[in-house]
Amino acid sequence: MSIRRSYTAIVERNVLWQGGFASEPYEAAWASEAIFFVRALDAKPITNSDGSLETGKAQVQISADGIHWADEGTEFHLPTARNEVIFAKVSHFGGYLRIAGEVRSPAELRVLLSLALKE
Amino acid sequence: MSMYAADPRLSRFDPLERIIFYDDFDEGIHGWSELIGNYEHSLDSMLPEYADMRPPMLSNQSMWDTGSAGSMEGTYSLKLASRAREGALATSIKRLTFRRRGQIQLECYFTFKPEASALRLSLDDVRAFGVLFDLQDGMNPEYRWMPHLRYLNATGSEMVNRWQMKGATRSFAKIGDSGETVSHFHLGPENWEFIDAPAQTLAYNEIATKMNWHYLRVNVDLAERRFLGFQCNDLIYEGEPLKYISIPAMPNLNCMLNTAFWVETNRDKRAFLYLDSALLSGEF
Repeated sequence: MSIRRSYTAIVERNVLWQGGFASEPYEAAWASEAIFFVRALDAKPITNSDGSLETGKAQVQISADGIHWADEGTEFHLPTARNEVIFAKVSHFGGYLRIAGEVRSPAELRVLLSLALKE
Repeated sequence: MSMYAADPRLSRFDPLERIIFYDDFDEGIHGWSELIGNYEHSLDSMLPEYADMRPPMLSNQSMWDTGSAGSMEGTYSLKLASRAREGALATSIKRLTFRRRGQIQLECYFTFKPEASALRLSLDDVRAFGVLFDLQDGMNPEYRWMPHLRYLNATGSEMVNRWQMKGATRSFAKIGDSGETVSHFHLGPENWEFIDAPAQTLAYNEIATKMNWHYLRVNVDLAERRFLGFQCNDLIYEGEPLKYISIPAMPNLNCMLNTAFWVETNRDKRAFLYLDSALLSGEF
């Protein structure tokens, strides 16, 4: 019996996101499924007119070469409170993965971004 | 003929009598992980130089112009990738302990390159790469000691192409408030000394997307605490033992046998170090 290989990379650790951001590229051609976990180490959200809290949005991006990027189509809201965890699942992504997005000014987000990969 | 010569994957190595690990990165990441500094209570307590040493990854070396190069012997290699910020490092470590203080030998096949984000040669975009051991004696330890071997490719716009060693580290800093944790950064630009070996221009090839694999061997004697020498392709250093960092033994590190690789960028551009495979052998 063989078991499926897996690996979790901490792609960003204790990094402050303000305004536009993109995570470092990560090569994962060996994996067939991936989950980005965004954990807020600290969050300073903005309060919308309806009272809801918001920091911003991100989307998964894919790339053939790690240099030129395209939106994969998976989009998600970023966490708004300390230790809140948001995740995004993707598969069939080719080689390179990252997330990119925007934290709406004056909101700030300090993150731990994990990428859990599995064969 | 060595018994290893019959195995096409091992016949390109010259191991000592027993193999401690053989990591072919086609099979997975084999326990190489990101180096991180020590901290207490908060990640903010870490020495800033250790905050972002980047996670290793498995690469099939896919290039924008020619597609996947694969590895030397298969599809995947271990890739260390720095941030695109001048002076940024990526460092990966494998943590073991030894069971006998004999000689050890690390061998690997590697290549290095800047990110191919510019359509130019980019020869001096990688500043340096290297390998180190972090070692401590076993029973009744006297010393923790750290042989470092660095290939200085370029500084600024000057090509150097020389091998270096390091005989001193920075002073230790207290981390947090418990008195249990200290840290020292040993990969800074200070205290590197040229090894008495000729300059060695490693085949870089002619554009940023073409890579050639190189052989590296490093020899250390745990019993005598000697950094014996190294070989890279056809350069063999067997002269006076090399300098290394030496520190009084520390708690909780007895028999430590850690191996780490790193790469440093010379520009605001990512620098990559790739390992096709790594083999640690020894007398035990």
